[in-house]
Amino acid sequence: MTRKNQQVETRMVSEYLVQQYSKFPAMQAVPLGAIDNALMATAGYQKAIGLSRPYRPEADAIVILPNYLLLIEAKVWNVVNGLAKLPLYKSLVPTTPELQQYMPRDILMELVVGTTNSNLQTMATQMGVSIKLYNPAWLQDVVNSMNVYWTADYQAERQRKLAMRKTLGVD
Amino acid sequence: MSPLGNYVILQSGVPERMHFTDDHVEVRTVTDNVTLKPKQVNVQIFSVDRLNGAPVAAQFSTMSESLYAKFAAYLPNQQYRNFDFIVTQNGSGYTTRYMVQAIPLTK
Repeated sequence: MTRKNQQVETRMVSEYLVQQYSKFPAMQAVPLGAIDNALMATAGYQKAIGLSRPYRPEADAIVILPNYLLLIEAKVWNVVNGLAKLPLYKSLVPTTPELQQYMPRDILMELVVGTTNSNLQTMATQMGVSIKLYNPAWLQDVVNSMNVYWTADYQAERQRKLAMRKTLGVD
Repeated sequence: MSPLGNYVILQSGVPERMHFTDDHVEVRTVTDNVTLKPKQVNVQIFSVDRLNGAPVAAQFSTMSESLYAKFAAYLPNQQYRNFDFIVTQNGSGYTTRYMVQAIPLTK
């Protein structure tokens, strides 16, 4: 069976950018960090960036504000991972060649989440990250469907469907 | 760009700045890379009237779910018309990554 790739967090970021920052240039899926100097010397700037792409961390989005670069990470699940990434990503911005044209600017950080709680707020404050809620109806549906997946009823129904598929020989 | 200038074709590592005027989804039959069998896919197509600052009459298309998701929020009410998009592809096949920059147009 084909599982549809829902690109939940990518869609979340894209919508959040349009809703909140449509007046400013915004980049999605931005590679971060320096490129190896030796590679740059031998392969050239453009090729070195391409070769390094799989090994560089990637910010979900960066908004170019007049006086700031705004680093955005969106998380539906594992939200603490998103929070932990942001300060580390921030440390890489000054050495990112693709962002040199926008420097020097101070860097702000936002974690976009579907739900929040007081512990997350406490940690975010400690790390200098702003928590932003973005919870459209479609996102709630995704979260609900994931929660249902682990229930006994859903698993029983799933096993019944898998068995039927095997019996009928359908893929 | 294709030889006749009808299609914008991304090359790895080369940013292309485009302005879109229209969009639609087409169903196309393609050959699956792995099974080598034909399969139907939905392709997101944009009409492009400006490429890297020069006027064109071309199409830009993608079947990539991740690239589509980056544009999805700009589709309602053709909001993409208010932006230029710089798309940079890196890698190929399953490892392809896309960076998309949306630049609001000043009126």
